[in-house]
Amino acid sequence: MEPSTPGRADLATLGLTYFAVGVTVTVALVDRGVSTAIILTAALVVYSATSELAFLAVHDAGGGLAAGVLGGWLVSSRFGLLATSLNRRFGGSTLLRAAAALNAFDPNVALAVQQPDEPSVRRVYWRTTAALLVGWWTGTAAGLLLGNVVSDSARWGLDAVFPAALLAIIGGLLRRRDGLAAAIVGAVVCLSLVPVAPAGLPILASVVGVVIALAVERR
Amino acid sequence: MTWTAVVLLTIGTAGLRLLGMFALGPVLGRRPLLARAADLLPAAVVAALVAQLTFATAGSLVIDARAGGLVVAGVLVWRRAPFVVVVIAAAAATAVLRAL
Repeated sequence: MEPSTPGRADLATLGLTYFAVGVTVTVALVDRGVSTAIILTAALVVYSATSELAFLAVHDAGGGLAAGVLGGWLVSSRFGLLATSLNRRFGGSTLLRAAAALNAFDPNVALAVQQPDEPSVRRVYWRTTAALLVGWWTGTAAGLLLGNVVSDSARWGLDAVFPAALLAIIGGLLRRRDGLAAAIVGAVVCLSLVPVAPAGLPILASVVGVVIALAVERR
Repeated sequence: MTWTAVVLLTIGTAGLRLLGMFALGPVLGRRPLLARAADLLPAAVVAALVAQLTFATAGSLVIDARAGGLVVAGVLVWRRAPFVVVVIAAAAATAVLRAL
């Protein structure tokens, strides 16, 4: 995707991606007998698919409440990092920036910070946020309605949708030498920690990639 | 997932998002080098998430059908294919590899 102008087709695809994400998370929760009320509340306030999935992963592995929550926090710590990069570019009132921070996801921040000026940062940010929210909620609803029918979402390749979309979203950064360096080092550091560190920590450790990338020319 | 878990997870996700925007963000904006670091953060963090979603299963590294999907996505992103093509081709490649 060209980061300069996410058009209608791009926004629709982003919606489709979050539809898949919403279905995946909801089906995982339904499978574990979680009530509809909790699923909907979590979709609204926890507001992070990967955080919920991290909690479930730790829980499935026999971890307790504290371990599961810690996993969820570590995974969502990346939203803090992303909000950090948004701060300098977003402008606007404190209230508006608080609303923006609370809506920080991977694609909306990554696309917005690639924009040239504050108005376009904000425009792209809210448009992409709206697109992914429509997908997230319809996906959550579909997951609740279809429940066990689609329990094997992997069979449809739905688990490949999210990473592919994320890769396309940072496409603009990957064309910069320093962006590519940050991405490669971040990914390698993350993967090398996956077998030994608790859930979420490997992603947090990817900031090492930024440190290395600062030594690389932007070009 | 219980109500307690929902409340605790929410404190983390909302709190960390606000912390990044209002506590860490202004610090990074103060120096040009740190500002450039902030711009590069999404590349590193999102790439790490992509890698983990593709190559990790419950704490161990695996190469399976998802890797094929990512390769397809990578080539298409590099060739500047439309977003929708990248996503659908990656899902299709993964589904096909899995069905083989």
